[in-house]
Amino acid sequence: MLTYVGIYFSEAEAKNIHSSLSSFLSHKNSVDEGKPERANFIALQIYGKIGLMGTLLSVKLHQNIKKVIVALILLSIFIVVLNFTDFSRNINDFFFLISSPIQKSFWQAGKSVSDFATGILKTSTIKKEIEGLRFENQELLGQIAVLTELKRENEILREALGLGLEKESELMLVRIISKDISQDSILVNKGEKDGVSKGLAVITGQKVLLGRVGSVYDRFSEVVLISNKESSFGARIPEREIDGIIKGEGGFNLSFVLIPREKEILENDTVVTSVLGGVYPEGLLVGQIKTIKKSDVDPFQSAEIKPAFNVNNLDYLFIIKND
Amino acid sequence: MIKRIIFFVLIFYILTLLQTSFLVHFNVFGIVPNFVLIAVIFINLFGSSDREKVFSAVIGGFYLDVFSLNNRGEFFGFYTLILLGLFLFSKIILEKYVRFPTIKKI
Repeated sequence: MLTYVGIYFSEAEAKNIHSSLSSFLSHKNSVDEGKPERANFIALQIYGKIGLMGTLLSVKLHQNIKKVIVALILLSIFIVVLNFTDFSRNINDFFFLISSPIQKSFWQAGKSVSDFATGILKTSTIKKEIEGLRFENQELLGQIAVLTELKRENEILREALGLGLEKESELMLVRIISKDISQDSILVNKGEKDGVSKGLAVITGQKVLLGRVGSVYDRFSEVVLISNKESSFGARIPEREIDGIIKGEGGFNLSFVLIPREKEILENDTVVTSVLGGVYPEGLLVGQIKTIKKSDVDPFQSAEIKPAFNVNNLDYLFIIKND
Repeated sequence: MIKRIIFFVLIFYILTLLQTSFLVHFNVFGIVPNFVLIAVIFINLFGSSDREKVFSAVIGGFYLDVFSLNNRGEFFGFYTLILLGLFLFSKIILEKYVRFPTIKKI
Protein backbone atom coordinates (compact mmCIF):
# COMPACT_ATOMS: atom_id res chain seq x y z
CA MET A 1 0.00 0.00 0.00
CA LEU A 2 2.85 2.32 0.93
CA THR A 3 4.60 1.76 -2.39
CA TYR A 4 1.37 2.09 -4.35
CA VAL A 5 0.47 5.55 -3.10
CA GLY A 6 4.13 6.60 -3.17
CA ILE A 7 4.12 8.57 0.12
CA TYR A 8 7.09 8.65 2.43
CA PHE A 9 6.37 8.39 6.15
CA SER A 10 8.02 10.47 8.84
CA GLU A 11 10.17 8.85 11.52
CA ALA A 12 7.29 8.88 14.05
CA GLU A 13 4.95 7.23 11.59
CA ALA A 14 7.55 4.63 10.73
CA LYS A 15 7.91 3.81 14.44
CA ASN A 16 4.13 3.54 14.65
CA ILE A 17 4.07 1.05 11.80
CA HIS A 18 6.93 -0.87 13.39
CA SER A 19 5.12 -1.11 16.74
CA SER A 20 1.95 -2.25 14.94
CA LEU A 21 3.85 -5.01 13.26
CA SER A 22 5.44 -6.05 16.60
CA SER A 23 1.96 -6.08 18.18
CA PHE A 24 0.72 -8.22 15.34
CA LEU A 25 3.43 -10.77 16.08
CA SER A 26 2.61 -10.76 19.84
CA HIS A 27 -1.12 -11.08 18.95
CA LYS A 28 -0.29 -14.20 16.98
CA ASN A 29 1.68 -15.54 19.97
CA SER A 30 -1.20 -14.79 22.39
CA VAL A 31 -3.66 -16.68 20.19
CA ASP A 32 -1.20 -19.53 20.06
CA GLU A 33 -0.80 -19.46 23.84
CA GLY A 34 -4.60 -19.56 24.34
CA LYS A 35 -5.14 -16.04 25.80
CA PRO A 36 -8.13 -14.73 23.74
CA GLU A 37 -8.76 -11.60 25.88
CA ARG A 38 -5.20 -10.37 25.50
CA ALA A 39 -5.35 -11.29 21.82
CA ASN A 40 -8.58 -9.24 21.31
CA PHE A 41 -7.10 -6.24 23.11
CA ILE A 42 -3.98 -6.31 20.92
CA ALA A 43 -6.10 -6.83 17.79
CA LEU A 44 -8.13 -3.71 18.71
CA GLN A 45 -4.90 -1.77 19.11
CA ILE A 46 -3.69 -2.95 15.69
CA TYR A 47 -6.96 -2.07 13.94
CA GLY A 48 -7.00 1.31 15.68
CA LYS A 49 -3.47 2.07 14.52
CA ILE A 50 -4.16 0.88 10.99
CA GLY A 51 -7.31 3.02 10.94
CA LEU A 52 -5.33 6.02 12.13
CA MET A 53 -2.67 5.36 9.50
CA GLY A 54 -5.37 5.10 6.83
CA THR A 55 -6.85 8.42 7.93
CA LEU A 56 -3.40 10.04 7.91
CA LEU A 57 -2.78 8.61 4.45
CA SER A 58 -6.09 9.84 3.04
CA VAL A 59 -5.49 13.28 4.61
CA LYS A 60 -2.03 13.39 2.97
CA LEU A 61 -3.42 12.33 -0.42
CA HIS A 62 -6.24 14.80 -0.08
CA GLN A 63 -3.77 17.57 0.78
CA ASN A 64 -1.59 16.74 -2.26
CA ILE A 65 -4.52 16.74 -4.68
CA LYS A 66 -5.78 19.93 -3.09
CA LYS A 67 -2.36 21.55 -3.57
CA VAL A 68 -2.21 20.51 -7.24
CA ILE A 69 -5.74 21.78 -7.90
CA VAL A 70 -5.02 25.09 -6.14
CA ALA A 71 -1.75 25.48 -8.12
CA LEU A 72 -3.55 24.75 -11.41
CA ILE A 73 -6.36 27.21 -10.63
CA LEU A 74 -3.83 29.93 -9.68
CA LEU A 75 -1.82 29.30 -12.85
CA SER A 76 -4.95 29.42 -15.02
CA ILE A 77 -6.08 32.68 -13.38
CA PHE A 78 -2.57 34.14 -13.87
CA ILE A 79 -2.52 33.20 -17.57
CA VAL A 80 -6.08 34.47 -18.19
CA VAL A 81 -5.35 37.78 -16.42
CA LEU A 82 -2.12 38.21 -18.41
CA ASN A 83 -3.83 37.55 -21.72
CA PHE A 84 -6.94 39.64 -21.19
CA THR A 85 -5.12 42.67 -19.84
CA ASP A 86 -2.14 44.70 -21.02
CA PHE A 87 -0.04 43.31 -18.19
CA SER A 88 1.73 40.75 -20.39
CA ARG A 89 2.92 43.59 -22.64
CA ASN A 90 4.36 45.33 -19.58
CA ILE A 91 6.17 42.13 -18.57
CA ASN A 92 7.59 41.77 -22.09
CA ASP A 93 8.62 45.44 -22.14
CA PHE A 94 10.30 45.17 -18.73
CA PHE A 95 12.31 42.08 -19.70
CA PHE A 96 13.29 43.60 -23.07
CA LEU A 97 14.42 46.76 -21.27
CA ILE A 98 16.65 45.01 -18.74
CA SER A 99 17.97 42.55 -21.32
CA SER A 100 18.61 44.91 -24.23
CA PRO A 101 22.18 45.94 -23.21
CA ILE A 102 23.21 42.28 -22.84
CA GLN A 103 21.39 41.30 -26.02
CA LYS A 104 23.08 44.10 -27.99
CA SER A 105 26.49 42.81 -26.87
CA PHE A 106 25.52 39.21 -27.67
CA TRP A 107 24.26 40.26 -31.12
CA GLN A 108 27.54 42.07 -31.87
CA ALA A 109 29.65 39.18 -30.54
CA GLY A 110 27.63 36.62 -32.52
CA LYS A 111 28.00 38.68 -35.68
CA SER A 112 31.78 39.03 -35.26
CA VAL A 113 32.31 35.32 -34.51
CA SER A 114 30.03 34.29 -37.37
CA ASP A 115 31.86 36.62 -39.82
CA PHE A 116 35.21 35.23 -38.69
CA ALA A 117 34.06 31.61 -39.00
CA THR A 118 32.47 32.24 -42.40
CA GLY A 119 35.70 33.87 -43.59
CA ILE A 120 37.71 30.78 -42.70
CA LEU A 121 35.23 28.13 -43.83
CA LYS A 122 34.14 29.65 -47.11
CA THR A 123 37.33 31.12 -48.56
CA SER A 124 36.95 29.49 -51.97
CA THR A 125 33.25 30.40 -52.23
CA ILE A 126 34.04 33.98 -51.22
CA LYS A 127 36.71 34.21 -53.95
CA LYS A 128 34.16 33.10 -56.56
CA GLU A 129 31.59 35.49 -55.16
CA ILE A 130 34.07 38.39 -55.38
CA GLU A 131 34.72 37.57 -59.04
CA GLY A 132 30.97 37.48 -59.70
CA LEU A 133 30.42 40.74 -57.84
CA ARG A 134 33.20 42.49 -59.79
CA PHE A 135 31.53 41.48 -63.02
CA GLU A 136 28.11 42.56 -61.70
CA ASN A 137 29.61 45.85 -60.53
CA GLN A 138 30.86 46.61 -64.03
CA GLU A 139 27.39 45.95 -65.42
CA LEU A 140 25.72 48.10 -62.77
CA LEU A 141 28.11 50.98 -63.38
CA GLY A 142 27.03 50.91 -67.00
CA GLN A 143 23.37 50.92 -65.94
CA ILE A 144 23.96 53.82 -63.53
CA ALA A 145 25.38 55.89 -66.35
CA VAL A 146 22.25 55.24 -68.42
CA LEU A 147 19.92 55.89 -65.45
CA THR A 148 21.66 59.17 -64.56
CA GLU A 149 20.99 60.35 -68.07
CA LEU A 150 17.34 59.22 -67.77
CA LYS A 151 17.00 60.96 -64.39
CA ARG A 152 18.23 64.23 -65.82
CA GLU A 153 15.79 63.85 -68.72
CA ASN A 154 12.98 63.03 -66.27
CA GLU A 155 13.69 66.15 -64.19
CA ILE A 156 13.61 68.33 -67.30
CA LEU A 157 10.27 66.80 -68.37
CA ARG A 158 8.80 67.23 -64.87
CA GLU A 159 9.80 70.86 -64.86
CA ALA A 160 8.26 71.31 -68.27
CA LEU A 161 4.98 69.67 -67.19
CA GLY A 162 4.92 71.45 -63.81
CA LEU A 163 4.88 68.24 -61.70
CA GLY A 164 6.43 68.21 -58.22
CA LEU A 165 8.68 65.44 -56.97
CA GLU A 166 7.09 62.77 -54.79
CA LYS A 167 7.41 63.39 -51.10
CA GLU A 168 10.22 61.34 -49.62
CA SER A 169 9.13 58.88 -46.94
CA GLU A 170 10.02 59.65 -43.36
CA LEU A 171 12.40 57.01 -42.06
CA MET A 172 13.11 56.06 -38.48
CA LEU A 173 16.42 54.42 -37.61
CA VAL A 174 16.09 51.36 -35.39
CA ARG A 175 18.50 48.78 -34.07
CA ILE A 176 18.04 44.99 -33.99
CA ILE A 177 18.14 43.51 -30.50
CA SER A 178 17.15 39.89 -30.86
CA LYS A 179 15.43 37.29 -32.99
CA ASP A 180 12.39 35.32 -31.99
CA ILE A 181 12.99 31.81 -30.63
CA SER A 182 10.85 29.91 -33.11
CA GLN A 183 9.57 32.28 -35.75
CA ASP A 184 10.84 34.68 -38.38
CA SER A 185 10.48 37.86 -36.38
CA ILE A 186 12.98 40.22 -34.80
CA LEU A 187 12.88 42.75 -32.00
CA VAL A 188 13.95 46.38 -32.56
CA ASN A 189 14.66 49.12 -30.06
CA LYS A 190 11.86 51.61 -30.83
CA GLY A 191 8.25 51.32 -29.73
CA GLU A 192 4.97 53.09 -29.20
CA LYS A 193 6.64 55.93 -27.29
CA ASP A 194 8.79 56.68 -30.36
CA GLY A 195 5.80 56.79 -32.68
CA VAL A 196 5.97 53.26 -34.09
CA SER A 197 2.63 51.69 -34.95
CA LYS A 198 1.52 48.29 -36.16
CA GLY A 199 1.80 47.54 -39.89
CA LEU A 200 4.58 49.99 -40.84
CA ALA A 201 7.06 48.69 -43.41
CA VAL A 202 10.65 47.99 -42.34
CA ILE A 203 13.56 48.21 -44.78
CA THR A 204 17.34 48.07 -44.71
CA GLY A 205 19.64 50.94 -45.64
CA GLN A 206 19.77 49.59 -49.22
CA LYS A 207 15.95 49.79 -49.60
CA VAL A 208 15.59 46.04 -49.25
CA LEU A 209 12.24 45.04 -47.77
CA LEU A 210 12.57 43.23 -44.45
CA GLY A 211 9.03 43.06 -43.12
CA ARG A 212 6.40 44.99 -41.21
CA VAL A 213 5.87 45.98 -37.61
CA GLY A 214 3.87 43.38 -35.67
CA SER A 215 3.34 43.76 -31.92
CA VAL A 216 4.28 47.16 -30.54
CA TYR A 217 5.50 47.51 -26.95
CA ASP A 218 6.26 50.78 -25.12
CA ARG A 219 9.95 50.92 -26.02
CA PHE A 220 10.32 47.97 -28.38
CA SER A 221 8.63 46.58 -31.48
CA GLU A 222 8.45 43.25 -33.14
CA VAL A 223 9.20 43.13 -36.87
CA VAL A 224 7.49 40.25 -38.70
CA LEU A 225 9.93 39.31 -41.47
CA ILE A 226 8.61 38.72 -44.98
CA SER A 227 9.82 35.12 -44.61
CA ASN A 228 7.42 34.58 -41.68
CA LYS A 229 4.74 32.00 -42.45
CA GLU A 230 2.06 34.59 -41.70
CA SER A 231 3.36 37.00 -44.33
CA SER A 232 2.09 37.37 -47.92
CA PHE A 233 2.01 40.39 -50.24
CA GLY A 234 1.94 41.38 -53.89
CA ALA A 235 5.19 41.49 -55.84
CA ARG A 236 6.36 41.76 -59.43
CA ILE A 237 9.27 41.18 -61.74
CA PRO A 238 9.64 44.67 -63.22
CA GLU A 239 11.74 43.61 -66.23
CA ARG A 240 9.04 41.21 -67.46
CA GLU A 241 5.98 42.89 -65.94
CA ILE A 242 4.89 39.70 -64.19
CA ASP A 243 2.82 39.96 -61.03
CA GLY A 244 2.44 37.36 -58.30
CA ILE A 245 2.28 36.84 -54.57
CA ILE A 246 5.26 36.44 -52.23
CA LYS A 247 4.61 34.01 -49.39
CA GLY A 248 6.78 33.48 -46.34
CA GLU A 249 7.83 29.86 -45.80
CA GLY A 250 9.64 30.24 -42.46
CA GLY A 251 13.36 29.74 -41.82
CA PHE A 252 14.23 32.81 -43.98
CA ASN A 253 12.67 31.17 -47.06
CA LEU A 254 10.31 32.83 -49.52
CA SER A 255 8.23 31.60 -52.42
CA PHE A 256 6.75 33.51 -55.35
CA VAL A 257 3.36 31.99 -56.19
CA LEU A 258 0.38 32.53 -58.50
CA ILE A 259 2.54 33.41 -61.50
CA PRO A 260 0.58 32.63 -64.71
CA ARG A 261 1.95 29.51 -66.43
CA GLU A 262 2.38 31.12 -69.83
CA LYS A 263 4.70 33.86 -68.49
CA GLU A 264 8.40 33.20 -68.80
CA ILE A 265 10.53 33.77 -65.73
CA LEU A 266 14.24 33.11 -65.36
CA GLU A 267 16.57 32.40 -62.48
CA ASN A 268 18.18 35.50 -60.95
CA ASP A 269 15.28 37.73 -62.03
CA THR A 270 14.81 40.52 -59.47
CA VAL A 271 11.52 40.67 -57.56
CA VAL A 272 10.22 43.92 -56.06
CA THR A 273 7.07 44.89 -54.17
CA SER A 274 4.00 45.95 -56.12
CA VAL A 275 1.07 48.15 -55.20
CA LEU A 276 -1.29 45.16 -55.30
CA GLY A 277 -2.62 44.40 -51.84
CA GLY A 278 -1.33 47.70 -50.52
CA VAL A 279 0.76 46.09 -47.80
CA TYR A 280 4.09 47.66 -48.71
CA PRO A 281 5.23 50.69 -50.72
CA GLU A 282 5.97 49.97 -54.36
CA GLY A 283 9.44 49.18 -55.69
CA LEU A 284 11.20 47.80 -52.61
CA LEU A 285 13.67 45.02 -53.37
CA VAL A 286 12.54 41.58 -52.16
CA GLY A 287 15.06 39.15 -53.65
CA GLN A 288 16.05 37.09 -56.66
CA ILE A 289 14.49 34.00 -58.19
CA LYS A 290 16.41 30.88 -57.15
CA THR A 291 14.47 27.93 -58.61
CA ILE A 292 11.38 27.73 -60.77
CA LYS A 293 8.65 25.14 -60.19
CA LYS A 294 6.37 24.41 -63.12
CA SER A 295 3.78 21.66 -63.40
CA ASP A 296 1.71 20.59 -66.42
CA VAL A 297 -1.48 20.27 -64.38
CA ASP A 298 -1.13 23.50 -62.42
CA PRO A 299 -2.46 26.71 -64.04
CA PHE A 300 0.14 28.70 -62.13
CA GLN A 301 3.88 28.36 -61.72
CA SER A 302 5.84 29.20 -58.61
CA ALA A 303 9.43 29.98 -57.70
CA GLU A 304 11.70 29.93 -54.70
CA ILE A 305 13.10 33.33 -53.85
CA LYS A 306 16.50 34.08 -52.38
CA PRO A 307 15.83 36.98 -49.99
CA ALA A 308 17.92 40.09 -50.56
CA PHE A 309 18.44 40.53 -46.82
CA ASN A 310 20.52 38.53 -44.39
CA VAL A 311 19.56 39.15 -40.77
CA ASN A 312 22.98 37.99 -39.59
CA ASN A 313 24.67 40.93 -41.32
CA LEU A 314 22.25 43.58 -40.16
CA ASP A 315 22.49 45.94 -37.21
CA TYR A 316 20.38 48.93 -38.15
CA LEU A 317 17.08 49.15 -40.03
CA PHE A 318 14.62 51.81 -41.06
CA ILE A 319 10.90 51.97 -40.35
CA ILE A 320 8.97 53.85 -43.04
CA LYS A 321 6.65 56.09 -41.05
CA ASN A 322 4.46 57.53 -43.80
CA ASP A 323 4.30 55.02 -46.61
CA MET B 1 15.57 24.31 -3.00
CA ILE B 2 15.71 28.13 -3.10
CA LYS B 3 19.32 27.91 -4.29
CA ARG B 4 18.22 25.54 -7.05
CA ILE B 5 15.40 27.92 -8.10
CA ILE B 6 17.81 30.88 -8.25
CA PHE B 7 20.14 28.74 -10.34
CA PHE B 8 17.31 27.92 -12.75
CA VAL B 9 16.25 31.58 -12.98
CA LEU B 10 19.80 32.63 -13.92
CA ILE B 11 20.73 29.75 -16.20
CA PHE B 12 17.46 29.86 -18.18
CA TYR B 13 17.77 33.64 -18.55
CA ILE B 14 21.29 33.33 -19.95
CA LEU B 15 20.24 30.46 -22.24
CA THR B 16 17.30 32.48 -23.58
CA LEU B 17 19.45 35.55 -24.25
CA LEU B 18 22.12 33.42 -25.95
CA GLN B 19 19.49 31.74 -28.06
CA THR B 20 17.78 34.96 -29.17
CA SER B 21 20.87 37.13 -29.73
CA PHE B 22 24.07 35.12 -30.10
CA LEU B 23 23.17 31.76 -31.62
CA VAL B 24 20.92 33.37 -34.26
CA HIS B 25 24.11 33.94 -36.25
CA PHE B 26 24.91 30.22 -36.31
CA ASN B 27 21.63 28.83 -37.57
CA VAL B 28 21.52 25.75 -39.76
CA PHE B 29 18.99 26.28 -42.59
CA GLY B 30 17.39 28.99 -40.49
CA ILE B 31 16.96 26.74 -37.45
CA VAL B 32 18.42 27.48 -34.02
CA PRO B 33 18.01 24.70 -31.44
CA ASN B 34 15.77 25.59 -28.50
CA PHE B 35 18.24 25.22 -25.64
CA VAL B 36 15.76 26.10 -22.92
CA LEU B 37 13.48 23.29 -24.07
CA ILE B 38 16.42 20.86 -24.24
CA ALA B 39 17.53 21.86 -20.71
CA VAL B 40 14.00 21.36 -19.32
CA ILE B 41 13.77 17.92 -20.98
CA PHE B 42 17.12 16.92 -19.45
CA ILE B 43 16.08 18.08 -15.99
CA ASN B 44 12.78 16.20 -16.34
CA LEU B 45 14.59 13.03 -17.35
CA PHE B 46 17.44 13.08 -14.88
CA GLY B 47 16.29 15.46 -12.12
CA SER B 48 16.00 14.19 -8.58
CA SER B 49 12.76 15.67 -7.27
CA ASP B 50 9.36 16.58 -8.72
CA ARG B 51 9.57 20.09 -7.29
CA GLU B 52 12.81 20.71 -9.17
CA LYS B 53 11.22 19.47 -12.40
CA VAL B 54 8.09 21.60 -12.00
CA PHE B 55 10.10 24.73 -11.21
CA SER B 56 12.38 24.16 -14.21
CA ALA B 57 9.30 23.79 -16.47
CA VAL B 58 7.60 26.93 -15.09
CA ILE B 59 10.73 29.12 -15.18
CA GLY B 60 11.84 27.88 -18.61
CA GLY B 61 8.31 28.26 -20.00
CA PHE B 62 8.00 31.77 -18.60
CA TYR B 63 11.22 32.93 -20.31
CA LEU B 64 10.16 31.34 -23.60
CA ASP B 65 6.82 33.15 -23.32
CA VAL B 66 8.48 36.48 -22.60
CA PHE B 67 11.02 36.28 -25.41
CA SER B 68 8.81 34.72 -28.07
CA LEU B 69 7.10 37.48 -30.01
CA ASN B 70 3.58 36.15 -30.24
CA ASN B 71 2.45 37.02 -33.74
CA ARG B 72 1.02 33.59 -34.53
CA GLY B 73 -1.85 33.96 -32.10
CA GLU B 74 -0.06 32.15 -29.30
CA PHE B 75 -1.15 33.38 -25.89
CA PHE B 76 1.12 34.34 -23.01
CA GLY B 77 1.62 31.17 -20.99
CA PHE B 78 1.64 28.89 -24.03
CA TYR B 79 5.18 27.60 -23.43
CA THR B 80 4.64 27.36 -19.65
CA LEU B 81 1.67 25.08 -20.21
CA ILE B 82 3.52 23.07 -22.86
CA LEU B 83 6.48 22.49 -20.53
CA LEU B 84 4.20 21.60 -17.59
CA GLY B 85 2.53 19.10 -19.90
CA LEU B 86 5.96 17.78 -20.77
CA PHE B 87 6.68 17.35 -17.03
CA LEU B 88 3.48 15.34 -16.50
CA PHE B 89 4.10 13.27 -19.61
CA SER B 90 7.69 12.45 -18.64
CA LYS B 91 6.57 11.62 -15.08
CA ILE B 92 3.95 9.16 -16.29
CA ILE B 93 6.34 7.58 -18.80
CA LEU B 94 9.22 7.35 -16.33
CA GLU B 95 7.06 5.93 -13.53
CA LYS B 96 5.17 3.39 -15.62
CA TYR B 97 7.56 2.27 -18.31
CA VAL B 98 11.15 3.11 -17.40
CA ARG B 99 13.38 1.46 -14.81
CA PHE B 100 16.90 2.72 -14.28
CA PRO B 101 19.25 -0.12 -13.24
CA THR B 102 20.75 0.81 -9.87
CA ILE B 103 22.93 -1.05 -7.38
CA LYS B 104 21.37 -1.28 -3.93
CA LYS B 105 23.38 -1.70 -0.75
CA ILE B 106 22.12 -4.71 1.17
